[in-house]
Amino acid sequence: MLVIRNRSLRRLLRVLIPFVAVPAAVLVGAYVFKDKVYAYISLIITILAIVLFISGFEKRETGSRRMVIVVVMTVLSVIGRFVPVIKPVATITVISGVYLGGEAGFLVGAMTAVISNFFWGQGPWTPFQMFSWGLIGLFSGLLAGRLKTSKILLYAYGALAGFLFSMIMDVWTVLWMEEGFSWEPYFAAITTALPMTLLYAVSNILFLISLFDPIGKKLERIKRVYGI
Amino acid sequence: MKPLEKYNPAVIFLYFLLLASLAMFAANPVMIAISVLTMNAAAVAYSREGLARSYVFYAIIFVLTSLANPVFSHNGVTVLLVVNDNPITLEAVLYGVMTGFMILSVLLLFRVFSTLMTSDRLLYIFGRAFPKLGLLLAMTLRFVPLFGRQRRKIENTQRTLGLYKDENAIDTIKGKLSVLSAMTTWGLENGIVTADSMSARGYGIKRSRTSFSMFRFERSDLGLLLIVIASCTFIFFGIATDKLKTDFYPRMQLPPFSPYATVCYILYTGLAIFPLVAKVAETLRWKWISGKAYDDKIKR
Amino acid sequence: MELLRVENLNFAYSDGKQALENISFSLEEGEMLCVCGPTGSGKSTLLRLLKRELSPRGTKNGVIYLNGRKQDSLSEFEAATEVGFVMQRPDMQIVTDKVWHELAFGLENIGVKQDEIRRRVCEIAGYFGMESWFDRSTDSLSGGQKQLLNLASVMVMQPSLLILDEPVSQLDPIAASDLLATVKKLCREFGITVIAAEQRLEELIPASDKLLALKDGRIVTFGETRECVKALMSDEHFAVSMPASAKLYRKLMGVAFERKEALSSHKRSGSESGNPEIPLSVGEGRRFLKNMISEIKSHDSGLPEDKEGPGTSLKSLARNQMWVNLASKEEKSGTENVEGNDALKKGRPEKEKNDFALEFREVYLKYERAGRDILQALSFKVRKGEIFCMLGGNGAGKSTAVSAAAGLVKPYTGKIKVFGKNIGDYRGQELYRECVALLPQDVQTVFLTDDINGRHPYDLSGGEQQLAALDIVLATKPRLLLLDEPTKGLDAVLTAELVNRLRALAQEGVTIVIVSHDVEFAADVADRCALLFNGEVVSVSDSRDFFAGNYFYTTALSRITRGIVK
Repeated sequence: MLVIRNRSLRRLLRVLIPFVAVPAAVLVGAYVFKDKVYAYISLIITILAIVLFISGFEKRETGSRRMVIVVVMTVLSVIGRFVPVIKPVATITVISGVYLGGEAGFLVGAMTAVISNFFWGQGPWTPFQMFSWGLIGLFSGLLAGRLKTSKILLYAYGALAGFLFSMIMDVWTVLWMEEGFSWEPYFAAITTALPMTLLYAVSNILFLISLFDPIGKKLERIKRVYGI
Repeated sequence: MKPLEKYNPAVIFLYFLLLASLAMFAANPVMIAISVLTMNAAAVAYSREGLARSYVFYAIIFVLTSLANPVFSHNGVTVLLVVNDNPITLEAVLYGVMTGFMILSVLLLFRVFSTLMTSDRLLYIFGRAFPKLGLLLAMTLRFVPLFGRQRRKIENTQRTLGLYKDENAIDTIKGKLSVLSAMTTWGLENGIVTADSMSARGYGIKRSRTSFSMFRFERSDLGLLLIVIASCTFIFFGIATDKLKTDFYPRMQLPPFSPYATVCYILYTGLAIFPLVAKVAETLRWKWISGKAYDDKIKR
Repeated sequence: MELLRVENLNFAYSDGKQALENISFSLEEGEMLCVCGPTGSGKSTLLRLLKRELSPRGTKNGVIYLNGRKQDSLSEFEAATEVGFVMQRPDMQIVTDKVWHELAFGLENIGVKQDEIRRRVCEIAGYFGMESWFDRSTDSLSGGQKQLLNLASVMVMQPSLLILDEPVSQLDPIAASDLLATVKKLCREFGITVIAAEQRLEELIPASDKLLALKDGRIVTFGETRECVKALMSDEHFAVSMPASAKLYRKLMGVAFERKEALSSHKRSGSESGNPEIPLSVGEGRRFLKNMISEIKSHDSGLPEDKEGPGTSLKSLARNQMWVNLASKEEKSGTENVEGNDALKKGRPEKEKNDFALEFREVYLKYERAGRDILQALSFKVRKGEIFCMLGGNGAGKSTAVSAAAGLVKPYTGKIKVFGKNIGDYRGQELYRECVALLPQDVQTVFLTDDINGRHPYDLSGGEQQLAALDIVLATKPRLLLLDEPTKGLDAVLTAELVNRLRALAQEGVTIVIVSHDVEFAADVADRCALLFNGEVVSVSDSRDFFAGNYFYTTALSRITRGIVK
């Protein structure tokens, strides 16, 4: 078995393989083989990516206090999904990622999808939502240092998170409706969804402006008081 | 035959997963027709609540998916009309309609799935594969209603203390954000009690955690599992060897009706109608039992 | 067999604050220990130090032996299973979403196999009578059921020491005594050793074998419950929180008590009443009182003028009819000025509608169309400037009634008038502008910001939170103040402080409406009381008549004196 000694390389690979290489393979596969099978394969690969990540989480030890904090953030985010029109889900995921690390960010995003879909309905879209929101949380954790210091970068990331979510979900839409991935319907889907995407982006920025510092402060306090 | 929800969740999960993938993979009009009809009946039987409203949503999705194909795909030989130099073909329209029906049947199927796969059942499956994630999900499910109630309590209290006093949209949004912020504090600060309660009961000690569930794997579960796997393998083999293939381009062909294909259709019908049959059988049995009890009473 | 031994335990928090000094005590297997002391005396710290996983951060000196082994030398598995710990808040201690899962949680953690978990979980559910709600989600349970579940999910780990840190402080009286009865049963039937700390000691003290009193981190007294209670009665700080029987004993034995029983122990052989045991429960209190009376009667007839001894003081007490007054005086320490008010009110014509701060007229309310009526033809009037208290069991509609008075829920028929004006006629926030204010049951809902006079609200203790929340609510300068269970989680000292504050407010002319389970508090503070049952007022009268007339819903003291005195 291959053992990678360098710790940061190992960590990098752990992120790169499930979240960069695998999706790329799906897209290339869907583009090259114009066949519906790839919609299904994309689903399986998405699930595999999530499984890979979760397996990492399962192996490590997580203290009870940390578990509870992740749960609290998830619950806030789930409740946020019930807000009409604008939803602070991505924002809370980003905050969790920045203050609690990428893993917590991923978990908050992914679990929000699973839990809230008990209400909104489970389906093959659940893994994609888990993946998209999880990714938003994960990357915000990886960029935590930058996002904490630069507000502009933070808001840009918030806007991007809105676009990213739409774009990933649209890839999936196209894969399902068409025989394979092609750009024309993809752009059509993105354009149709543009008003919603813009709304996501703008509301993400507004939510970040009003929630990032207050909730961040609370999380910092909890980390200090409870020694995490 | 016992009610569907009495089977082991893993079996139900696999059943729905395979059924959905068959409907999606096959691209066979007959199977999609079977799928739409049975799943619609199952949706009526299992989750009638709010179904009417969902139909509107399903109709929109159906129209959109049906239209998308002829707009973007110009294969096929029977040109119906030409828009902006792009031919709209009959074959593309038909393929689009089939895709629409396929998606419709999948939506209906997952509607039934969502009704049956309650949180504790899904948790059982998650918990087996990922005990820690399963625990996180269970904790989240426990906290969601608690937080929901706390949100209402905070809103009520703060209303009497002058929140939302200006009665305009901005004030309302500001108020909601303050409530969210207060809830965050409340949850994080009191969460320590939950964490302590976990530690006090040995969470985090260096022993491999087990994952307990009240669900059992009975003989009938094995029976259903074997039937599902056997029939699905048979049909999948048919798909892989193009025995169920229906070409739409350049010209649409009729779906195959070879002996193998016919067996596939029958098996698929059997599989897809199972939830409905289980439900009807259960209802009838109850009618019969209570009817009999009633008769017995009369006789006495 | 000795189960627990604590030797010279000292503890200082990491910020340098000394919390415990020289704590030494030991417990036998199957004993029940009651830990008491004012807020901040180090009760919680001590209890938490006994459970290794929950030990606070700081410097610890001294040794804790469990089953003859040092606590530090226990394995993780032993530390987790040998000691069970139940805390205050029933809601927050529950970890998972289903009752059966919650019961299994601890066993999952220690890696017990499926079949074994199934057996143990089902067994414990059967023992605790939880079959009917075994499959339910934990969120749908009542407070009492939640705490019972917390207890059961600790007991399923089969601990030999059970630690309870204010387990019933958030429960209503009935659920509280049910839970304590269950704990006592565990103690008796399984030989579990129990250590419990609680603010309200009325029921806990009679149930426990040993008592440990803490003050400022030091042991005041430790030993057999009865002796400790006797010793504590001479300390004002502790005396207020002791059971009513003990207080009555002290009052009646007054003179003798002051003489530190030296005298009475002399007379022990001579007279039965020479040194009666200090009564702890209501039953013992009644027996004590009856004996006392017959004693005095015999003294009166047999020994006309005995010089020395407790008999004399008792006789004089009886002659002065002191205890007759005593019973009612205890119920109403502020009698004089209240009566003055009453007289004033009775003088005025009742027709003048401005006289009423709050009026309910045949109010019907339910939350769901198909649901049952929570309030049914609820009618009552609250005069301006009085303290009105509504008592009643769970689900009597008490909280709903105050919510309706605060305009938070709307009745489907009937009238609610606030200061003579229909509640619906108050526009927007008008009702809350220097008019009506509500202190909710959950005071943490009052805190919207993370800063109260420079401190984080959650850094305050439960009692401090309660008073801080009251300040915030009072800042709106209400003329009608509604309080929902204001004494939940308060110790006797803080309750007394609350009573004083409310009295002062009433003096300033604020009308106060309280709903509470806490009979002793109501008797202390209210001018008039009402009993709510099934959404309607069953009886309403001045506090004194109210508690004298009730059989169940009355103070421990009037339960002791019922039928004996007067």
